[in-house]
Amino acid sequence: MDQALYRFIVDKKHHAYRTGVCAELAPQFSEEKLDPKERMIRRFEMLTSLEQPVILPSEQICFLRTVPKIPECFTEAEWVEMKKTHFIHELGYMSNICVDYATALQKGLLALRETADCYGQRAIDAIIALSDRYCSKAKEEGREDIAAVLTQVPRYGARNFREALQMFRILHYAMWLEGNYHNTVGRFDLYMYPYFKKDMDAGIYTRESAQALLDDFFLSFNKDSDLYVGVQQGDNGQSMVLGGIDQNGEEVFNLLSEMCLEASGNLLMIDPKINLRVSKNTPIRVYELGSKLTKAGLGFPQYSNDDLVIPALVDMGYALQDARNYVVAACWEFIVPGVGADVANIGALSFPKVVDTCLHRDLLGCDSFAQFMDCIAKEIHRTCDEICGGIQNLWFVPSPFAHVMMASGIYDGGKYNNFGIHGTGVATAADSLAAIKLYVFGDHSISAQQMIEAVDSDFACHGEILPKLRYETPKMGMNEDLPDLLARELLERFADGLEGRKNCRGGIFRAGTGSAMYYLWHADELGASPDGRRKGEAFGTNYSPSLFAKIGGPVSVIRSFTKQNFHRAMNGGPLTLEFAASMFADEESVEKIARFVKAYIDMGGHQLQLNAVNTQKLLDAQRHPEKHRQLVVRIWGWSAYFVELDEQYQNHVLSRQQYSV
Amino acid sequence: MIDGTIFDIKEFSIHDGPGARITVFLKGCPLRCRWCHNPEGLSAAPQLMHKKNLCTGCGACLRGCDHPECKPFSRCIHACPNGCLRVVGKRITAQELAEKLRANGDFFAMTDGGVTFSGGEPLMQPEFIIELARLLPGIHKAIETSGYARPEVYRKVIGHFDYVMQDIKLVDREAHKRYTGVPNDYILENIAWLKQSGIPYIFRVPMIPGITDTEENLAAIRKLTEGCEVEYLKYNELAGAKYEMLDMTFPLRRNNND
Repeated sequence: MDQALYRFIVDKKHHAYRTGVCAELAPQFSEEKLDPKERMIRRFEMLTSLEQPVILPSEQICFLRTVPKIPECFTEAEWVEMKKTHFIHELGYMSNICVDYATALQKGLLALRETADCYGQRAIDAIIALSDRYCSKAKEEGREDIAAVLTQVPRYGARNFREALQMFRILHYAMWLEGNYHNTVGRFDLYMYPYFKKDMDAGIYTRESAQALLDDFFLSFNKDSDLYVGVQQGDNGQSMVLGGIDQNGEEVFNLLSEMCLEASGNLLMIDPKINLRVSKNTPIRVYELGSKLTKAGLGFPQYSNDDLVIPALVDMGYALQDARNYVVAACWEFIVPGVGADVANIGALSFPKVVDTCLHRDLLGCDSFAQFMDCIAKEIHRTCDEICGGIQNLWFVPSPFAHVMMASGIYDGGKYNNFGIHGTGVATAADSLAAIKLYVFGDHSISAQQMIEAVDSDFACHGEILPKLRYETPKMGMNEDLPDLLARELLERFADGLEGRKNCRGGIFRAGTGSAMYYLWHADELGASPDGRRKGEAFGTNYSPSLFAKIGGPVSVIRSFTKQNFHRAMNGGPLTLEFAASMFADEESVEKIARFVKAYIDMGGHQLQLNAVNTQKLLDAQRHPEKHRQLVVRIWGWSAYFVELDEQYQNHVLSRQQYSV
Repeated sequence: MIDGTIFDIKEFSIHDGPGARITVFLKGCPLRCRWCHNPEGLSAAPQLMHKKNLCTGCGACLRGCDHPECKPFSRCIHACPNGCLRVVGKRITAQELAEKLRANGDFFAMTDGGVTFSGGEPLMQPEFIIELARLLPGIHKAIETSGYARPEVYRKVIGHFDYVMQDIKLVDREAHKRYTGVPNDYILENIAWLKQSGIPYIFRVPMIPGITDTEENLAAIRKLTEGCEVEYLKYNELAGAKYEMLDMTFPLRRNNND
């Protein structure tokens, strides 16, 4: 990698080019009563014309944002009006999908233009015009290499590795500039491999020179990433998926996959976020390469298990070839590139809230635990009614460029239009149910009334039961069947609750095990809980043990979290494990950790997020942020620079269960 | 029914033998190494461990209590709202422990690992670990030991194991006595036996600044271990933290303050 260029980006010197300003557009659009597509295309044309080409010294992959702020297309009043009759998801864009890079790279934008509508044609013309200005700029600066690349792409298809990388950068850049967000990267080692292999076979690159080019390309994901919207800085959805099987069932992992892992380790930056698809057939070497990257402390890669994900997607109605082609959305939701217009994070069910409702409404009237679990099932069903029923008349801002980039289009939905519902706080809920079963219905050491009073008073009343509930009751992560099988039941009931429902776009609802930011948001909505969780304490992230469970170790955790049936709850959401950085001491340790990850997959785990954490460094970074600007942590499905996070997210990372040597 | 006392089971330890291990720590040790970083492994009896930094002094633990495990300590270890108290040391039958370990047979197979017995000093409970070893057929078994046991005991126990991690601390008899509390005659004799036993082993040398890492000691160790596999273990400076929780004094710290 070019070190000068790397330092330039790390030190944010390229921000100096961000001098472009785009005037407000929405008021005028509104006055002219413009059609949404017309607004989108006008804004895109405006932004592409305002962008000033910048070619940084020694960079091989160009395109940099110089207009930092994208103005709104709709006025606030229009949004208010729209929301009266439509469900608007997040910021209103069809985001968090994976567009069809493969076709665009292969055919070029002019070919796509032939079948595009007039808006798509204008979008393509606009991005080609900007690219032509980059080409002229390159000539001006004597960068004949870049000029030659831009003479070919994006107008025509890429002929070699460098053209393909540059073209990807332009396509991705255009997706962001159009206002879409959580623009994922997809199966990079699959669609990029033919270009890479052709050049390697022809001897155009050595492994080193190809790596340098790839590193430069990886750096491009980090040039504008602070401009991308998300809940926190870093939550930008630039997820890259490596490995797994292709549409014909053949293993994908190749030299390019390996070099991507290496590039990520070379950069030590938060983008792109690496995901590794694995299965029983994945050789241990792939896990070793993955673990080596984990050691770098970026919270990559995240693993997903093809053996479980693919059949589950097929049962949800995805064609086998599409299921085999799955990628992850911004975080961990399973989606299909090119044809999937799923909204994988449209809602969330809080399991602890369900338990809390039943605790207060039903517990006193229940004679048995089975009866209480019936109430839980009904409340889950009722919550699903509420969540699903609330999503009617979904409307998305029509993005002409994204529409062109999807084989199935997106204006009217894609081939798949399913909605994903997260399931948050599973461990907190299962642990709470375990306590109720043991003490309220089992040995009767705590009465229903006492349990309710204790929870309502945050254990000011009946404080003596807190230690028992908190530290001496079986919890998920301890490999105890009681809570683990209750979790299994919760997921089953969740899947039941969503089964058979049709969403407003004709798709289905998918149950998941992820939490996204709800591990804080949903926890804030609740008081204390029967597992001894105090008011104000967060849940574990995604599919993880509660923060205070006294856990024997990571082997118990993976056993606990593989006893459930994920087949009907496969929207995504990983078990998250934090290993002390000191565990990754040498090559031998890394190999052992690789075997551990493989064991988790072979035991039937669906998705794993493994992090190497250096607590001392994190604590020091809270005190001296200026010394740790590049320190990276994993949050809930993405990695971030620790010092750029709000304190509550920082503290959650510090309070997670951690395992050491 | 043979039982023994353990003070911890560590899942997925990666520095305690081949592959991924589950390490069982047996309680009780005849040595008193000044640098010991497992002080809860020294006494054979159960002990109260108190995380004083989390204690708010609420007094909840001081009420009378009938739990059998609490009685010896005149306070209730289950009453703490902050989870500060725990008893280290648990009697367990070989049968129960073996079942627990056998349940991880698949994990050991998947990771080319096994069970490691550490301590304390596992040789302090010879019948217990021989019984355990018998109850764990087909699982790779390793032992971490100071080697301080009568030679006939050492040979009998070690013969049941697939891998031995044998400590070598100090070669000089007097120095050994001064820093560990016991002479090293048994240890040296056992090491000599181990070398010709045919059982796979590694020597491990804790590098304690100014005590074991002296030129003289290291030269003697090199001579003793010529042609053998040796691992030199870096000293963990945080070793002293657990002493305070046990109301014990870290000898090395006292030494430094002298």
